Amino acid sequence: MSHVFKIYPNQIFALSDISLEISSGEFTFIAGPSGSGKSTLLHILFCAEKPTRGEVVVNGVHITDPKFNKVYQLRRTMGIVSQDLKLLRDRTVRDNIGFALEVTGHPLGEIKEKVSEILWQVGLQEREKDSILSLSAGERQRIAIARALVNDPPLILADEPTGILDAQMTVDVMKIFTDLHQKGKTVVIATQDMDLIQRYPYRVITLMEGRRVDIETSDEVRQEA
Amino acid sequence: MILFPRYVMVRALQNMRGNLFPNLTNIGIIAITMLIFSAFSLIAFNLTSFLKIWEDKILIIAYLKKGIPLSTVEGLLKDTRQLEGIEAVSYISPFDAMVFMETKLGSQKNLLEGIKPSVLPSSFEIQLKKEYRNSTKINEVAFRLKQFPQIEEIQYGQEWVETFSVIVHLMRLTQWILGGLLLAALIFIISNTFQLTITSRREEIAIMEMVGASPAFIKVPFHIEGLIQGFLGAGVAILLLFLLYKIFILYLTPSMRGWLAGISILFLPPETTIWILLGGMGLGVFGSFIASMRFLKRNE
Repeated sequence: MSHVFKIYPNQIFALSDISLEISSGEFTFIAGPSGSGKSTLLHILFCAEKPTRGEVVVNGVHITDPKFNKVYQLRRTMGIVSQDLKLLRDRTVRDNIGFALEVTGHPLGEIKEKVSEILWQVGLQEREKDSILSLSAGERQRIAIARALVNDPPLILADEPTGILDAQMTVDVMKIFTDLHQKGKTVVIATQDMDLIQRYPYRVITLMEGRRVDIETSDEVRQEA
Repeated sequence: MILFPRYVMVRALQNMRGNLFPNLTNIGIIAITMLIFSAFSLIAFNLTSFLKIWEDKILIIAYLKKGIPLSTVEGLLKDTRQLEGIEAVSYISPFDAMVFMETKLGSQKNLLEGIKPSVLPSSFEIQLKKEYRNSTKINEVAFRLKQFPQIEEIQYGQEWVETFSVIVHLMRLTQWILGGLLLAALIFIISNTFQLTITSRREEIAIMEMVGASPAFIKVPFHIEGLIQGFLGAGVAILLLFLLYKIFILYLTPSMRGWLAGISILFLPPETTIWILLGGMGLGVFGSFIASMRFLKRNE
């Protein structure tokens, strides 16, 4: 990402001259208080928003190139965990996870197999046939993560994945992300939870009012605190 | 890969089941519109076929001047037969005309009592070649016949045929103007109802976009939904029209039957029915296409 600006109407600068590079296999926190531009940055990375200026390359794809028009193909290479989870409340756990495979044209046998596998990975294998409405907040968060992972994408983007969770649930969810990182996945988590960042030894990119603040690792965050 | 056609069919049917009311509304609106349009088509079709039948039956009657000797009539008959566009000419003597009138009057033939055949003019009954049985060509033949001084008057019901042709043309014109207006209204209503359906599924569409569903995976089920709605709507319209047609035939009064002189009222031919079905399907798809163009742009 190079010299990226995102300016909303009335000259509201959501992002100002942001340049950063996240290497493959890296675990990165995008930190900052509410309104600092974390979500906007993630939205730009998964093409939900276009930057006003600047260049962005994701998984080798120049998404700011005017000729780029295959957003859906790029999104298949990333797992997105949205802040509001975006789960289908009238469906079961299995249907919610399988939906990501179904709409990308996977065979039914493969869907069944992959859903079982991913549920085991997030520790919810017992809840496969349960309705989303019967799950706790932490379980729903893990289902949203499972759906993001079921396509086995190399890049995971998560927006406040622990925002509504208690301490134990936060640990459980973060374990999923750290395991993914150990398996070589690139993980980018946007969070305003500085306590959470301090507990993990990963790179931190801090934003303040849309500008990048140069604190690079969680160790430095710890020292700053 | 899940077979794409199977996926879109399943998805379209799920969408329809999940949004039953908007779907029934669309089917109903398509049915009403297509019923109005196909009713006009049916009327215009029958009027056109009446016109064709009457044109086929059309004859020119050329009344001869009184007192023309038979020897002149023979020469005139020969000359008439040689005119362009004439298929056959038969001579009707005053006596033949009287017999014809008596036959026509049936039980009321006593009205002719005391009338001598000599008061009736002799005439030629002229049949035209097929390509001359239309208002333009018939006028040409009539004009040539008028050049014979022995002919007193020519009758071929031209005004009636012309008036009827105008009625048929007006009916066709009304059908297409009304059809055009209904079409515009229909597309507007269908696309708005589709917008409701799409809005009600926006959460699901947002997830589809997020997980990388291709635009075809998102849009095509909606188009299939439109296709099914159009097919069902047009099918209902044709069924209703057929019922109305049957009821009309059943309750046709004897006087109307007499007026029709044995000409049967027909239902729309199969090819027109297929075109109406295809039209309904096309409208459904177009409505969904307009709605999806407005709402499903982001994923491309």
